[in-house]
Amino acid sequence: MSQRKTFLLLLPAGVLLVVFLAIPYVSVFISAFREPGQGTPYGEGYTIANFTRILGDWFYVKQALNTMLIGAVTTLATLVIGLPVAFQLARPDLKLRGLFYGIVLSPLLVGIVIRSYGWTILLGNNGVINRTLREWGWIDGPLPLMYNTLGIVIALTHVFLPFMILPIMSAVQGIDPSVGSAARSLGAKRPTVIRRVLLPLAMPGIQSGCILVFVLALSSYVTPALIGGLRVKTTAVTVVDAMIDTFQWPFGAALALTLSVLGGGSVLIFARLTRMKWK
Amino acid sequence: MTEVRLNRLTKIYSGGKPAVDSITLDIPSGQFVSLLGPSGCGKTTTLKMLAGFEDVTSGEIAFDGEDVGRVPAEDRDIGMVFQNYALFPHMTVQQNLAFGLEMRKVSKAEIKRRVQATLEMVQLDHLADRYPAQLSGGQQQRVAIGRALTIEPRILLLDEPLANLDAKLREEMRVFIRDLQKRVGITTVYVTHDQAEAMTMSDLVVVMFDGHIAQAGAPREIYETPKTAKVAGFVGQVNLIEAPMDPATPGHAATPFGPVPVTAPGVGETVTLALRPEAIDIAPAGAPGTPATIERVQYSGAIVDYTLRFADGTAMEVKTIPRHPFATGDAVSLSVDLARFRQLEREY
Repeated sequence: MSQRKTFLLLLPAGVLLVVFLAIPYVSVFISAFREPGQGTPYGEGYTIANFTRILGDWFYVKQALNTMLIGAVTTLATLVIGLPVAFQLARPDLKLRGLFYGIVLSPLLVGIVIRSYGWTILLGNNGVINRTLREWGWIDGPLPLMYNTLGIVIALTHVFLPFMILPIMSAVQGIDPSVGSAARSLGAKRPTVIRRVLLPLAMPGIQSGCILVFVLALSSYVTPALIGGLRVKTTAVTVVDAMIDTFQWPFGAALALTLSVLGGGSVLIFARLTRMKWK
Repeated sequence: MTEVRLNRLTKIYSGGKPAVDSITLDIPSGQFVSLLGPSGCGKTTTLKMLAGFEDVTSGEIAFDGEDVGRVPAEDRDIGMVFQNYALFPHMTVQQNLAFGLEMRKVSKAEIKRRVQATLEMVQLDHLADRYPAQLSGGQQQRVAIGRALTIEPRILLLDEPLANLDAKLREEMRVFIRDLQKRVGITTVYVTHDQAEAMTMSDLVVVMFDGHIAQAGAPREIYETPKTAKVAGFVGQVNLIEAPMDPATPGHAATPFGPVPVTAPGVGETVTLALRPEAIDIAPAGAPGTPATIERVQYSGAIVDYTLRFADGTAMEVKTIPRHPFATGDAVSLSVDLARFRQLEREY
């Protein structure tokens, strides 16, 4: 097929991307520098006031930092839980593989709203966990599991676990089994084989898993909105508030852009720190 | 220097027939031994048991008289070279070579010295800081051999190490490995299905079929005095002649070339004789010998292969230097030194 015809095949996808991805991004970028409007999306002229307002107000800065913290802790939690699971799932002698894949993917099979309400039932002050602990006499008052950062992290860890497990699993599956045998023949015991050989070789998967989960957690809206309620808001929730509730499009856009820059910067730094020279 | 002894070594995977069936083998210290056989003959399983990657079902593996059959791979002190090299992709050549020494808690300075010595030994000092992915197949192979040898193991095990290399490199590596092994003087077990590799490199060739050792001996012994038709055929081309006993000369079998002395079977039975294609001389018709017709000619430069047929319909392969320009259909005369016939054992 000629170069030109190949290009024609790419056209539908290209048009789709430009119309629904590139243009909205550019539009958000531009709106962030617009004057606020009165009864209109935005007013006349351009300004950086939206950004100075964010950076000058500890409320927004703290909220952005807390959002980053939620992203980081969720990433760490999914990594700690997901890593051993991924290694087990990657075993070539695994039985009932389909069943285990289904279990791993199960958080994604439930609608996001239903899943979040499920967590409300578990985590609430009168939720299953608190009531059980009280009945057993382990606690006097309810543990604060809802409407705070902890609750958001728990719910996000649940839903984003597959995004950590799957890339690591595929990286581990790609490791030549004889590499582990080679390490043993050279005198390495099982824990050393894992630490010195298997984990480093799983790094590409660990890296992509971490980036995926971090970015998803940072930008997630429904779960933080439902679990955090009115008390804890992430930047993404505040962006939607600004856009929908108070109709401050330029400010919301600036806030969204700030979050993107923070998230993108973190990802770049992380990728830099975990760079693998051997790839 | 380690002497290896396998005593009725057996491996049975759950429920199946034995993959390795009670093999007994003595490998003298410093020898290069090849386990040669088709896939599924048990040679790789034997090697894995030697390395400690597979449990021994029964029998004994002894290094210098000490049973190591229950010693885990990491404590067995063996150097292993894998078919796909199994280098650590995330480590440089240098780090790959140092790994085994680090596991042995050797001092930094000593590691540096020994890694450098190995780099020189495998002629890779200029590539010390490269990653495996940046090396050619032959270079990766040399790293793998170097990595196995830096720890100064008791024995060196190689699992079809040349299978993934192209033909020319394979021949170079044969010489390289053999020279290195002689220089280091390490007892070496080499698994291969390539008879040319086994014959050219080994002190001792062990031919295996179906989990059994069919024959073990020096390359020349295996080639010239094979015990069975299977062994004869596996280490080279062979003419198998099912010869009846010659009624005229007792104790001799009748062949197209004349009576050949054999250890007598019962009257009326036949014996199986092996004759290597290069043992037969081919001359123009009329010369003394047995007349035959050329059916096929395969000329490959240094040598030429003829397929011939006798008047009674028996086919015969002949391999010779191309002295006469014979063509298909030519009548020729074949002669052979009757001492080159080898009587084979019956296989049951």
